[in-house]
Amino acid sequence: MVAIAVPEVDYTQYSNRQLVAVPLALLAVALLVIVGWYVVTGAPANLGLEFTGGTELRIDVDGENPRQQIDEAFSVAPESVQEVDVDGSFVVTFQEGALGSSQIEEEANAAGFDVLTVDSVDGSFGPEQGQLALGGVVAAFAGMSVLIFVIFRSFVPSIAIVISAFSDVMIPLAMMNLFGIDLTLGTVAALLMLIGYSVDSDILLNNSVLRQSGDFYESTRRAMRTGVTMTITSIAAMAVMTILASLFGIQIMQAIGFILVVGLLADLMNTYLVNVSLLRWYVYEGVKR
Amino acid sequence: MIGWLKSNWRVALLAVFILLAGLALFSPALDSGEETLGNESEEASTLTNLRFGLDLAGGTRIRAPLIGLTADNVEFAGGTPQEVETDVAGQLPNTDTTDVIARQATEQGEANTVEVVNPNVTETEFATAMDDAGYEYDEISSGVTDATRQEAINVLEGKINQAGLSGGTVQEFQSSGDILIEVPGQDRQDVIELIEDRGNVRVDIYYQNDSGEYTTERAVLTQDDFQSISTASQGENGPGPNVPVTIRPDSAEEFREVAVETGLAPGGSTCTYDQDRENTQPCLLLVVDGEVVNAFGMNPDLGESIESGDWVRDSSFILTTTDFEEAQRVAINLRAGALPAQLDVLGGTTSYISPTQGDNFRTYSLIIGVLSVLSVAGVVFARYREPKVALPMILTAFSEVVILLGFAAYLGYPLDLAVIAGFIAVIGTGVDDLIIIADEVMSEGEVNSQRVFDSRFRRAFWVIGVAAATTILAMSPLAALPLGNLRGFAIFTILGVLVGVLITRPAYGDILRYLMTDR
Repeated sequence: MVAIAVPEVDYTQYSNRQLVAVPLALLAVALLVIVGWYVVTGAPANLGLEFTGGTELRIDVDGENPRQQIDEAFSVAPESVQEVDVDGSFVVTFQEGALGSSQIEEEANAAGFDVLTVDSVDGSFGPEQGQLALGGVVAAFAGMSVLIFVIFRSFVPSIAIVISAFSDVMIPLAMMNLFGIDLTLGTVAALLMLIGYSVDSDILLNNSVLRQSGDFYESTRRAMRTGVTMTITSIAAMAVMTILASLFGIQIMQAIGFILVVGLLADLMNTYLVNVSLLRWYVYEGVKR
Repeated sequence: MIGWLKSNWRVALLAVFILLAGLALFSPALDSGEETLGNESEEASTLTNLRFGLDLAGGTRIRAPLIGLTADNVEFAGGTPQEVETDVAGQLPNTDTTDVIARQATEQGEANTVEVVNPNVTETEFATAMDDAGYEYDEISSGVTDATRQEAINVLEGKINQAGLSGGTVQEFQSSGDILIEVPGQDRQDVIELIEDRGNVRVDIYYQNDSGEYTTERAVLTQDDFQSISTASQGENGPGPNVPVTIRPDSAEEFREVAVETGLAPGGSTCTYDQDRENTQPCLLLVVDGEVVNAFGMNPDLGESIESGDWVRDSSFILTTTDFEEAQRVAINLRAGALPAQLDVLGGTTSYISPTQGDNFRTYSLIIGVLSVLSVAGVVFARYREPKVALPMILTAFSEVVILLGFAAYLGYPLDLAVIAGFIAVIGTGVDDLIIIADEVMSEGEVNSQRVFDSRFRRAFWVIGVAAATTILAMSPLAALPLGNLRGFAIFTILGVLVGVLITRPAYGDILRYLMTDR
């Protein structure tokens, strides 16, 4: 079995400015992508079926040239057609207003396709859901921030956690845009999960540095040993879930897994670069002021 | 024994919970518990008490609002609700009294309301009609009242039961005002067909009045007039597809009078409504939701019997239809009653999962769950390389899932894909916290006394507690907001965190202490 040695970083070699440069640059790029997306499309990410409305079918197609059969079967062109690897079925998505969901289903049946699943959401229903979901994310983040401030009762360590959690959510959101993953209820749940998940290692670090004996570098090393193991186990579980779910075509699990993997990777970076340097500044310089 | 229990009560508590979970999962006594989603999966219900949601069992889910407009705080000005309904309906185009519902406040603090459930009436038209009819009100909002919604839920349940769709449920969706209908194992089209119409059945008489013009005597028979409604009959040797009914004695007398007056009963009548409605003997029209589905005459014997009054004592009657399916629909509608308002099926969300796909998803999610746990175990073993630390860790995390499954079985909460994703996330956080405990306890050299262990364990627990609080806080909006099936994900993540912090992680501490100190 491979031994996992948590890497030891010699933080003394780097200045705070050097440490935060990369993560902040990445955060800036992520924000740029999200804002750019918002300006161009009117939403921070590509909205999925649940928020825009539309119809999605999962069908089995027998015979040759399934894609051509699908193109010919429907009286309107589908927005997208994706093949699911494991069982060879197809996920066909139609935009809102193209055709009624019942008619789409009838056309699929008429073409001899075996309809496995049908999901349809009305367009007037979607935006309302989107507002709710967005409100939920903001509320969760605000609640988490308040809790952190109440527990640590000092500004710099608390804001360090909040900034790092903010970046943990923004980077996967930007990645979703780049990888063409839609914002759905599943991905919103994953972003919320990330808020809770990603602060664990930050809390561990802050606790180790601020509340326990030992010098800064020793405390950081100890927290890092535990924290990195934690995050890697979670990443392992989520990566397995993402890969298998994408093979099986289970989109909700795939989306939740992908976002958590990206977010936890971002968390590794943010915790041990951003949070550490802010804490170091606080311990060596901030407290003296 | 008692001494052991005293120092290891956390482990004992964990054992008790695992036992309870096992009981909830496998005990046949609990199997007939709450009927949350019914008997969607035979295979599952024989093996465990777990219930599967539509994702994993197959079936149809429809979430849709009821169409209607409600005027609040209406001044009835002494009129009865019936009078108000007639007045308001009279002011609206193409609107019947069945499209207007006036409700008198029954309790203190409630207000009188008037609802219009005709989808074609706009808010402005409704406002004008209220003004013209002379009823004052506060404001008009879209949607229907709680009383109407409750009635609709009852009627929908009746329709689903009458149609023989076992295990279907109808409820209000997380107090959003929408109706959520779930029918396991059933095709989407069939369910939509069953529920999308209001199913208001009535019988009209179409006849020539004294001045020779054709006119319709409306609603001579409505649902309330029927004493009993038999199941639809094929009627092969005679009348064709039909629904046999009997009519209440008092309604029968009224019907007799109208039938005689309109010329339907005496001598019977032959109806040619479908061929030439300007030249026919009197007809009975079977009208569903305002549309004539069949027109039929009356055979001479029955006509005689009605005219003479003999029929009133027996008062059986058949409603003929053009085909058997129609007869079945009419029978269901008559038995379950009419929906007080129409469901806006197209304006909501629907999803359908075929039963085979549900089966597949079940297998897939089991594989995903098992492999995720194995990968976590792999990382933990690779990191600690000491089975003494790693093995209890994995077993503890696993017991967390068992307890959660027990909860799900006990509550009858249907498992779906989102819930399973939640379980996997719970294993992730669970193991994280166990790693914190293990590292903290083993840090700074040997643990040789209970006191050292306890102080380190407490320190680790502080971090775990704060982390758990943030996770619960982050997931709570999802558990509270009406955002579809993600509620399950949130509820089980929160429950998992609670089970972890209160039961399994303290127990892991005890196990670790036993292994570290008593050597």
